[in-house]
Amino acid sequence: MKTSTVNLRNLAIVIADPSSYWRRAIYGILRSFGANKVLEVEHSMDLIRILSSQKIDILLCDTQIHPHNWLKLTHMIRRNANNENRTMPILLMSSDTSERIVKSARDAGANMVVAKLMSPNILYDRLCWIAFNPRPFIDTSTYFGPDRRFKIEGYPGGVGRRKGDKVTTVAEEVGPTLAQNDIDSLFKTAAKETNDA
Amino acid sequence: MMPKSTDPEVRIFFANTRFEKMARRQGGVPREQALAQAQAKIDKLKSDFSSWLDRELEELNAALTKVESDSSDKSSIERAYRSCSELRDVGAAMGYELVTFIAENLCKIIAAIQTGATYEKDIVDCHIGAFMLARTDRYRHLSLEQVPEMASGLRRVVELASKTSARANK
Repeated sequence: MKTSTVNLRNLAIVIADPSSYWRRAIYGILRSFGANKVLEVEHSMDLIRILSSQKIDILLCDTQIHPHNWLKLTHMIRRNANNENRTMPILLMSSDTSERIVKSARDAGANMVVAKLMSPNILYDRLCWIAFNPRPFIDTSTYFGPDRRFKIEGYPGGVGRRKGDKVTTVAEEVGPTLAQNDIDSLFKTAAKETNDA
Repeated sequence: MMPKSTDPEVRIFFANTRFEKMARRQGGVPREQALAQAQAKIDKLKSDFSSWLDRELEELNAALTKVESDSSDKSSIERAYRSCSELRDVGAAMGYELVTFIAENLCKIIAAIQTGATYEKDIVDCHIGAFMLARTDRYRHLSLEQVPEMASGLRRVVELASKTSARANK
């Protein structure tokens, strides 16, 4: 990942987390990164209210948010064609990073999942990634969100046919909880890998 | 399979979000400085952990008191579970092993109550008592190996609670 500097000044950032402790931690981190417009919400109703009434530039949302389920919220944001926040980056935070959760997040249209107990440098790098490595949006009847293709899917038929096609490798299984690197690999696009060839 | 861009039912486009445009501007806080400042904030938060722990235990206690008087009170059970999960997660993040262990144990018990197990006051009180001990200066930074009797006692309590729950559900 590039070592870039991200400028968060005047960007409207929402932290949606039921934990006052985590909200305080992430607020402090974002302020340290230069953010000066950070909103915090504890409940999903407040989040919906904010998203309906103003332009938000990025959402950091915990998967424990309630009463609306995080998956439903992500779908709601991405599927609402009338909402100006439809293409806003959504970064989900979760202490449960099982493959099931991460894939659900990806398939709902989240840009990224960050494993909780995140350090400042992980959050910083993920913000840089979203800013400097934008993925195209895919709009179909069944999906709206960032391109979901990821490295381990490989080529149709399983074998690259072009001379420049790279060998695809599947990450080693690390158990039920994915490490941040493995989460990241589920969000990288195969297209970028092949274009680099 | 990736939809082809020529498929009329598929639209592929770059959103060019405001976040992307503005985040790339010059003039942001340099990375090293940003990270150092953020770490200082996290360290300050750690030093406030005791106050936070006390407030969270009060909330947990309040929710559990309601559950004790009405074990069908779903919203209080849910609140107790969330409070306990937070103690577990934040305890783990801040490196308080004992708090994390007690919270993890109590989460299992509350989860069982959510699925119909009886509220056992003695078992819950035992965990609250353990929290009260774990929050003190003497015990806060101890590992499980340093309090083997407490650890094995609480594990045994959860085992017994699970067996009782399983028998009740038959």
